Amino acid sequence: MDIAIRAVVLYVFVFLLMRLAGRRELSSLQPFDLVLLIVIGDALQQGLTQSDYSVTGAMIAVGTFALLQVGTSYLNFKFKWVRPVLEGYPIVVVQDGKVIEANLKRERITVDELAEAARLQQLASIDDIAWAVVETSGQISFIPKKSS
Amino acid sequence: MADIPDTIVLKRDRDLAKRSKELWVRRALLLALTVFLILAFLNVFGQRSTTSSTIAPAATLTIHSPDTLRSGLIFESRLRIFATKEIKDAIVVLSPEWIEGITFNTVEPSPVGEASKNGSLSFDLGHIPQGQEYSLYIQMQVNPTTFGGRTQETRLFDGQTLLLTSSRDVTIFP
Repeated sequence: MDIAIRAVVLYVFVFLLMRLAGRRELSSLQPFDLVLLIVIGDALQQGLTQSDYSVTGAMIAVGTFALLQVGTSYLNFKFKWVRPVLEGYPIVVVQDGKVIEANLKRERITVDELAEAARLQQLASIDDIAWAVVETSGQISFIPKKSS
Repeated sequence: MADIPDTIVLKRDRDLAKRSKELWVRRALLLALTVFLILAFLNVFGQRSTTSSTIAPAATLTIHSPDTLRSGLIFESRLRIFATKEIKDAIVVLSPEWIEGITFNTVEPSPVGEASKNGSLSFDLGHIPQGQEYSLYIQMQVNPTTFGGRTQETRLFDGQTLLLTSSRDVTIFP
């Protein structure tokens, strides 16, 4: 019971932390981010099961996380009003080759970073972009202009 | 203008209409997290030790121990008894709140005797000559499932005579 309660508290905390970190941090996974993820996981584990080394304890912890994850995605699927809270909405950052600076600033993305992300999608110039959207996952999707 | 991608609503996703509160929610969460970390830095969640002294005509009891703890923490409590007058048979009695949900790893120096005194833990320390000090070190660990507030009472006896009583409030965070 104790582990299940701790799992719920930590799930909510991590969820809020991820929402707080913003999409920019979610989308990138540099080597440092990877190390940080492992460290966060380890810190969480200690608070979660503490000195409980039992298989039952591990099953309760993992089971609670799985149930919360399924529950969250079900709520997200079933109730439209929950989506902005759980996932948020996408944000348009480029329209017709024009950068929407205010939206970029909001997501803490520079024009250089946007151009870099565009190049990774074989788009040499921002002028070639019809739409660039920062998705709820933090990734930027690019839709190139139609060639005439 | 290029065709708008499916499910993109310009008013909402480009102009961010009615989405200013999202930013404020994020800022509020960030502020809450910062406040939490500042409080942690200021020792609100433990485990820095504090010192409390109780002075009686025959003896002074000084307890150096954390008053804020967290589940699972290993910590030390130090009890110093200064005998203003000779104590022929010093007995320290710790209320159950000292040990309930807390594991005593070791007590140094080992008391002459241990007993239960009306439900409390009694350590017989023996003779303390006048003007001398006796230090009792207790290494403890909070059990992982223990949390909440409690008042720990410590009583010092000389045989059957109560010399002093000391109380400390301890908070254990989950």
